[in-house]
Amino acid sequence: MNDSTELHDVVMVGAGPAALAAALYTTREDIDTVLYEKGVIGGLAAITDWVDNYPGFPDGLAGLELADKLQKQAERFGADIRLGEVQKITNTGNLKEIETTDGLVRAKTVLIATGSDYKKLGIPGEEEYYARGVHYCATCDGAFYRDKKIVVVGGGNSAVQESIFLTKFASHIDLLVRGDSFRASEILQQELKKHSDKVTVHFNTSTERIIGKEGKVTEVQGHNSKSKKELSFAVDGVFVFIGLLPNTGFLKGSDIDLDDIGMIKTNESLETSMSGVFAAGDVRSGATMQIASATGEGATAALMIRKYLEPHA
Amino acid sequence: MPKNITIFTTNTCGYCVMVKKWLSAKGHAYEEVNLDTDPIRQQEAIALSGQLSVPITVVTKQDDTQEVVVGYNLAKLAPAVS
Ligand SMILES: Cc1cc2nc3c(=O)[nH]c(=O)nc-3n(C[C@H](O)[C@H](O)[C@H](O)COP(=O)(O)OP(=O)(O)OC[C@H]3O[C@@H](n4cnc5c(N)ncnc54)[C@H](O)[C@@H]3O)c2cc1C
Repeated sequence: MNDSTELHDVVMVGAGPAALAAALYTTREDIDTVLYEKGVIGGLAAITDWVDNYPGFPDGLAGLELADKLQKQAERFGADIRLGEVQKITNTGNLKEIETTDGLVRAKTVLIATGSDYKKLGIPGEEEYYARGVHYCATCDGAFYRDKKIVVVGGGNSAVQESIFLTKFASHIDLLVRGDSFRASEILQQELKKHSDKVTVHFNTSTERIIGKEGKVTEVQGHNSKSKKELSFAVDGVFVFIGLLPNTGFLKGSDIDLDDIGMIKTNESLETSMSGVFAAGDVRSGATMQIASATGEGATAALMIRKYLEPHA
Repeated sequence: MPKNITIFTTNTCGYCVMVKKWLSAKGHAYEEVNLDTDPIRQQEAIALSGQLSVPITVVTKQDDTQEVVVGYNLAKLAPAVS
C-alpha cells in the first residue's frame, strides 16, 4: 500500500439491504461511499420471490423489485457500487486496508454487511447432483421443474415460503422437516395449507441420500426418527433450505471477533472489535434475519460511522 | 469481441439480472431467452449447459466456437466474452 492507493470515507462489504440502506444514509451526508458486491445487488432479498413484510408496501412486492428500488435510492445520492469480492481487511492504524478482487483500496471506516449463504446438507449425492437436481435457489431454478415431482428440505420460513413458490411449477412436493413441527411463522404455515393438494409434509424426517441415474436425480432417501422407517421419494429434484451460514470466511485470522457460529460480534454502536469497522444485517451476532431489521441496522451503522468520522476527519 | 451472446433467464432470477447488468456495463449486446415466456426452449438450455439452472450465457466467438457459462460467475464470464 502507498499514499496513492484509493482512499474512501467508508467501504461497505456487500450490497444487500443492510449496506444499501447504510449507503443511502452515508451518501446523503456527503460521506464518500464505495460498496463491493460479489453476488447479486440486493443480496438475499433479490433472490426472494415475494416480500410481504417490508413496511411501506401494503400489497407486498417482488424481491427483485425491492432490490432494484434499494439500489436506485442509494445510487441517487452517489453510492458507488462495484462488482467484486472483498478478500481481506487489515487495520493499519487510523486507516483500513481492503483487499478486493479489483485491487487494494483504503478506507477510514468499513461496514461489513455480508449476510449469509445457504447451508448444505452434507449428504451423499448433494455435491454430485449440484444444479443437476440439487438446488438452493427456487427463484433461479424452479422453472425447470414444471409438472415434475420434487423434495424440499427444511422447516423454517425459507423452506415454507419457497415451497409455496415452487407449487407454481411442481406437480407435487414432499416437504421433509427434521423436527416434529415447523419453525416457520404461523402465517406462512396457514398459506402452505392452501396448497395441501400439492404439498405433503413429512415431520421427523431426516434427508439421508440423493440418488440419481444418468446424471439426473431420481430418488431421495430419508429416515423417520419416530417410526424408525426408511423412506424413499421418487422425484426429479431437491431444493434445500435448512438455514444459513454467515459470510465471514474472509475474516479468518483478522482482529474482528466472531461468535461461536461465525457471526460478527458488535457493541451497542454496531462497531466490531476492530476500531472503525462496523457490522450490520444478517451477518451480525444477534441479527433477527429480516429485511426490515437489516435496513434498520444499516441506517444505525451509517449514523455511527458518521459519528466515528467526525473526530477522525 | 464475441459474435453473439445469448442468455437464458427466468422472470424471478436475481443472478440473471446481474449477468445482464454486467454485460451491459462492459458494452456487450445480448439476446435474452426468457424460459418463463418461452418454456419450449428449456430443453435447448439443458442440452447446452448440462444443468437445470439459470442464468446460462452462451458466447459464440468469431470462429463460431461456443462457450457456455452457468450462473453469475465473473471469473468465467470475463474471459469468455473478451
Ligand atoms: C428464501 C428466503 C426468503 C426470505 N424472505 C424474507 C421475507 O419475506 N421478508 C424478510 O424480511 N426477510 C426475508 N428473508 C431474509 C432477508 O433476505 C435477509 O434478512 C436480508 O436480505 C439480509 O440483508 P443483509 O444485507 O444483511 O444480507 P444479504 O441480503 O445476505 O446481503 C449480503 C450481500 O453481501 C454479499 N457478500 C458476501 N460476502 C461478500 C464479500 N466478501 N465481498 C463482497 N460481497 C459479499 C453477498 O453476495 C450478498 O449480496 C428471506 C431469506 C431467504 C433466504
